[in-house]
Amino acid sequence: MENRPIIEVDGLVKDYGRVRAVDHVTFAVGTGEVFGLLGPNGAGKTTIISTLSCLVPPSAGSVRVCGLDVVSDSMEVRSRIGVVPQEIALYQSLSARENLMFWGRMYGLSGTALTRRVDELVEVVGLSERAEHRIDTYSGGMKRRINIAVGLLHNPQVLFLDEPTVGIDPQTRRSLLELALELNARGLTILYTTHYLEEAEFLCDRIGIVDGGKLIAIGTQSELVAQIGATDTIAVEVEGLEERSLPSLDDLPDVLETVVDGGDIRINAKSGSSLLPSVVGRLTDAGVTIRSIDVSAPNLESVFLHLTGRSLRSEPEAAEQDGEL
Amino acid sequence: MKALHVATKDLAIRFRDRNALIVALLLPLVLIGIIGFAFSSDSGISAVRLAVVEREDGDLLAAMAAGMLSRIDVFEAAALPEEEARDAVSRGDISAAVLLPDGLLDAMMEGEPAEIRVLKDPASTVKAGIAEALVQRTATYASAGSVRSRSVIESIDTEQPLTDAEQFELAAYMFRHMAESWDQQLIAIEDVDQETRGIDAHSYFAPSFAVVFLLFTLLGSAKTIHEEREAGTYSRLLTTPLSRVSLIGGKLVGSFVLAALQLGILVIMTRVLFGVNWGSDPLAVLVMVLVTALGATSVAIVIAAVSRTARQTDQIGTTFILVMSLVGGSMWPVEQAPGVVQRLARFTFNYWAHSGFKDLIFRDAGLSGIWPEVAIILGLSTVLFALSVGLLSRR
Repeated sequence: MENRPIIEVDGLVKDYGRVRAVDHVTFAVGTGEVFGLLGPNGAGKTTIISTLSCLVPPSAGSVRVCGLDVVSDSMEVRSRIGVVPQEIALYQSLSARENLMFWGRMYGLSGTALTRRVDELVEVVGLSERAEHRIDTYSGGMKRRINIAVGLLHNPQVLFLDEPTVGIDPQTRRSLLELALELNARGLTILYTTHYLEEAEFLCDRIGIVDGGKLIAIGTQSELVAQIGATDTIAVEVEGLEERSLPSLDDLPDVLETVVDGGDIRINAKSGSSLLPSVVGRLTDAGVTIRSIDVSAPNLESVFLHLTGRSLRSEPEAAEQDGEL
Repeated sequence: MKALHVATKDLAIRFRDRNALIVALLLPLVLIGIIGFAFSSDSGISAVRLAVVEREDGDLLAAMAAGMLSRIDVFEAAALPEEEARDAVSRGDISAAVLLPDGLLDAMMEGEPAEIRVLKDPASTVKAGIAEALVQRTATYASAGSVRSRSVIESIDTEQPLTDAEQFELAAYMFRHMAESWDQQLIAIEDVDQETRGIDAHSYFAPSFAVVFLLFTLLGSAKTIHEEREAGTYSRLLTTPLSRVSLIGGKLVGSFVLAALQLGILVIMTRVLFGVNWGSDPLAVLVMVLVTALGATSVAIVIAAVSRTARQTDQIGTTFILVMSLVGGSMWPVEQAPGVVQRLARFTFNYWAHSGFKDLIFRDAGLSGIWPEVAIILGLSTVLFALSVGLLSRR
């Protein structure tokens, strides 16, 4: 990864009427980096990508991509970026090849160069044998792959991937993430938005955590964990709290913080595994029934929880992602 | 160039939509066929049968009027007693009965107004309308005849009252003048022929239905702007080096080509299937087809521009097109509508499109004959396109 920023966002603000969707966001992405924007739905990730891809002008602040201003050099910026939107933005009644040929022409490609590039890309996404078939005959995963291929037609310097794995099966998700890694290995800079912790952990060199339109933390995974202190998390699911009061756990040795959310208890501690017997003992002595207990090393979930007081996993879709990567 | 690629892509998508093709081509042909055949027995192809009511047995005036009307090929007129004439109209045996008032001759001689009544068969609107128009025209000639008769009377000794024989001779003179007027007014008689013989229902409804279905096809085409927005392709296009104006321009070009093709195919197919004669000037027909396609495109695109979603475009567009088609005379002869509707019709695209095609079909007008319609549609299109591009560019 080179250090020269290919994306520079400085004090970005985007208002929609009286609603502030993005609130003074500042970050930079280096050439060849995979940068992730992680946050729940409605956090402002897509608005940031829309601004970077010249779709909406910023209300305030400056945004430069490939050294060019997204407002004054919009056309030039657009010719250097590839955008893969969250939805399958393809023409369903056209074949994959027809779609790619059309989108290639939109990027200014033509003739044999275009034909060759299309052939190359259907090969890259593993759909050369189905290239002549209409998109509406494809599976969700195949559509996603063509959706990504469109963004790669003109060999962009930066690829924006906006939640490209929403609503697809684990196997396809895995293959798309591997494709992203492969593209990055070829030198492509990727800005990736997601609300799936595992994807950000798996893919991104650095991660910006977005919530309520603000960038609340930025860094590598280890830097982010270090920001909140290197603590383990003990997650306990209990029942019967209605009848019995929860015994105090904060006074146990090495416990830093306890968060109770209904029947879920999260305990941050310096060493989770050594604390585990004490926690179990305290709860059973108080007559609380333990349904499950888990110790995890610090991760992005802990960071998000620490920074926002909420779990990203409360998102229904995110809950389905456990253990899928 | 990119706009042309957008247009080509839109056309490729439209041509793969089998339902859209059916609505665009098959449905109008089927409807023109059905309605054409349904109306063909009442469209003036067969003779217009009417009666002139006898005020008394052997009414000479009624017999003369019926005889004069029968001289015109498309009319079969007979003098009948009033009751018999009313029954015949009720049964639909004749399309209209003309009731001449008592003292008509005297009123005409004196230059005073007289009321000629026409009983019409409500189920035979076209023929009855023709009969009514003919009576109005006859009255005009009769007035002219009476003026001439009066001048003759004034030129003889007015101190002497006219004898019955002289009065009869003057009446005969007046009718002779009217008859000569029919013969001399070649253009007017030709008009009557055109309006009757030429009005076969296929010829009347082919352009009007073609225009209505053209508007519906283009509504489907224009709403793809919203469908693309909803599918995400519109936004994606704007992340490529494609300007908003090129994108909208491409959509317009695609719609226009689609419209011109649809209308052109309908012109050819109605000629082949139903024998509709679109006129002897192919250039004039081509100009009218292209101008109508342009106008329909502008109407459809402005509907899409003022709508927020594809669904709203459908709802607003369908209502607007139906109302405009009704008022503009695409579904019935607007010439028979009340004056206020006829005035309103002039504010619709359908009226001018249909009017241009009618000029070609029924008057064989040629380019010089359709320029008012062409100019008005071009003007309308310019305004609507400017409005649409303004609205769409801001979104």
